Amino acid sequence: MTPTRAAGMSSLVAAGIVLGACAQSGRDAPVVARGDAERGRAALIALECGACHRIPGIPGARGTVGPLLDGYREQVYVAGRIPNEPDALVAWIRNAPSLDPGTAMPDLDVSEAEARDIAAYLYR
Amino acid sequence: MLRHKLLFGVLGACAILLFGILVGIAILLSGVLSTAATEQHSAFTHWLLDTGLRYSLDANSEGIVAPALTGTAMIERGRSCFRAHCVHCHGAPALARQPHGLGMMPIPNDLTEAARDWPPGWLYYVTAKGVRMTGMPAWEFRLSDADLWATVAFLKKLPGLSRAEYQELARLPQQTNCRTDTAATARVAESYDEEERGQIVLRQYACHACHRIEGVVGPDTSVGPALVDWRNRRYIAGTLPNTPENLARWITDPAGVSPGTLMPDLGVSQAHAREMADFLFSEE
Repeated sequence: MTPTRAAGMSSLVAAGIVLGACAQSGRDAPVVARGDAERGRAALIALECGACHRIPGIPGARGTVGPLLDGYREQVYVAGRIPNEPDALVAWIRNAPSLDPGTAMPDLDVSEAEARDIAAYLYR
Repeated sequence: MLRHKLLFGVLGACAILLFGILVGIAILLSGVLSTAATEQHSAFTHWLLDTGLRYSLDANSEGIVAPALTGTAMIERGRSCFRAHCVHCHGAPALARQPHGLGMMPIPNDLTEAARDWPPGWLYYVTAKGVRMTGMPAWEFRLSDADLWATVAFLKKLPGLSRAEYQELARLPQQTNCRTDTAATARVAESYDEEERGQIVLRQYACHACHRIEGVVGPDTSVGPALVDWRNRRYIAGTLPNTPENLARWITDPAGVSPGTLMPDLGVSQAHAREMADFLFSEE
């Protein structure tokens, strides 16, 4: 096989690989009823969640008090104890101490609608 | 002319190598390679792995000096360890293995032949360190050195047991005198290079099964939080100020620190918890 032909075959195979590499097994983004990711982004900025959390896409959100919130849809549990589903996350955002009395995350007086928007952003 | 020939030869070899790699990747991504444990290795693959194991054991067990493998107490202790930890998967003559020892690929071998033929150093090494890509775990973080050698001492007696003696094994109470000597197993970590130690200890308690950890190769998991950039975290479990001492406390007693947490108590010794904590804090 000449080098050129081998290179040609190789690029064909490479193209096949790119087309065929689709065996992904990640989680689909959970749908938050009445949640709007864009409004959630605004709420995350307004509530200064970034003071404690690192949140991708939120300017200045580089806090290290709480966990980083990237790839949150993949996370299996909220706060290491509740299965990560929309309602649980919304409840946690609204009033974390009610679900884990020992948590350092404060009750932030977030409205149900705001919490839904924030959850939608974190799952996006 | 000669120069050109050489250049084309090298280019051709590179192209063929690249082609081979791409074909390999294409086969991998096509999914035709089965990972089912119901499939068997080709005879060649089996030979390759088995030969690799023997040569590895031979090279790595060099310099391991076996203590005297005699004495009723030692053999009795080894029998308890065998009953508690080995017989489920390996079985024994006249003694069927448990279900998890039946469907495995590769199959855990019956140990009488290895016990007869392998030098004690091999048996010790394979038990202490386990075998990668088989179901054989490393036992040195679970069993003390004395327990490991006692197990080897019993293994050496294994081929000579009678049918009644094999079956008596199954009737031994699970409650055994093969006790984990945590003080002794804690010292095991010290046998590893300081740079590697933390990473090894974390893996020996399966931390990477639930956490992505900087410096540890493992599944891309999101069960627990990712342990990256740990030293800059302010709280452990959202409740305890993040210091190495507190982290070790959390690891040894998660529910005591945060009731309701799903992080289990993995029976980590204080010394091993400190190794883990120091490793996580050392991450750049």
